[in-house]
Amino acid sequence: MIRVAWLALTLALYLGSRKAQQLARGSPLLNPVLFAAAAIVVVIALTGRGIAEYRDAGTPLLWLLGPATVALAVPLHRSMRAMRAALLPALVALIVGSAATVASAVAIGHLMGASLDTQRALAAKSVTTPIAMAITAQIGGVPALAAVFVMITGSLGAVFGTVIFDRARIRDPRARGLAMGIVAHGMGTARSFQVDVTTGTFSGIAMTVNGVLTALVLPAIWLLSR
Amino acid sequence: MVAAARHLAGLLAAFAVLVGLDMAGAAMARALRVPVPGTVVGLLVLFGGLLVLGRVPGPLEKVAALLFDHLNLLYIPAAVGVMAYGALVRRDAWPIAVALLASGVVGLLVAGWTFQLVDRRFGRGHDAP
Repeated sequence: MIRVAWLALTLALYLGSRKAQQLARGSPLLNPVLFAAAAIVVVIALTGRGIAEYRDAGTPLLWLLGPATVALAVPLHRSMRAMRAALLPALVALIVGSAATVASAVAIGHLMGASLDTQRALAAKSVTTPIAMAITAQIGGVPALAAVFVMITGSLGAVFGTVIFDRARIRDPRARGLAMGIVAHGMGTARSFQVDVTTGTFSGIAMTVNGVLTALVLPAIWLLSR
Repeated sequence: MVAAARHLAGLLAAFAVLVGLDMAGAAMARALRVPVPGTVVGLLVLFGGLLVLGRVPGPLEKVAALLFDHLNLLYIPAAVGVMAYGALVRRDAWPIAVALLASGVVGLLVAGWTFQLVDRRFGRGHDAP
């Protein structure tokens, strides 16, 4: 019974914050996940019921992430067709850009003395959330931590991406979309579609292809470097 | 009535395929001892199937769209779960903040510049402004 109540509260908060974000015209500053989660944390603290009970209630939602990740094959299939037009620059930028993000995140974490758990979550943070959580679990990290890092990264990229591109003379909409998808995944893609269709399409392509490539390569590199 | 039932059966079958591939992917990754998340193995199997088929079946397209539309709902328990790691986040607050900001900027610049560079050298160019 208490499980149902927690799930109902989660659903209500999700719908409410989704509505609020729609009213704010999809502003990346208003993240419905972080808002709803913060509200639930407050409820947990006020009722003194403990996090374990909520985690137990939330298992069906976490379980659904599995089939949702498999379903990414559908946009990947679509991406492959669209990517053919700019295959070489897109693939090179994907590999180089993705490696640069992952390497700089882990290196900074390491040099500034972050714990190993934090470094593991930082490694996966640019990938779309369900894949990031799977990768983090694979390399022995904390998937929840990765999920929150992913969302913060996505918001930052969506908010500052356009300004950075303008300053750095990155004007080709395909280049902008690709970079946005590699760094800021779903939120970057949503933001890119607000700019124009080409940018959004390339962001979506970069997001899915980057997610799959990273899942194939990163755990192996991580294990070898131990 | 019959059409609606058939429509629903199609959606359920598509969902069952996704769940089945998720579980099969995990089993395959374990059996082959590859360091790839099982769910991503399931994704690749489905991708291979779509390539062979040459198109995405309608019900699968619909179920996928439904799941993607509400992904945020599925993340909420994970975000709440971070509460249990409050001490870790407080301890690593600075490295986390700097790493997220700096690596984001680095990624945007490197990816954007690389695309433009390679496209100018080898690409077919584009007609958009």
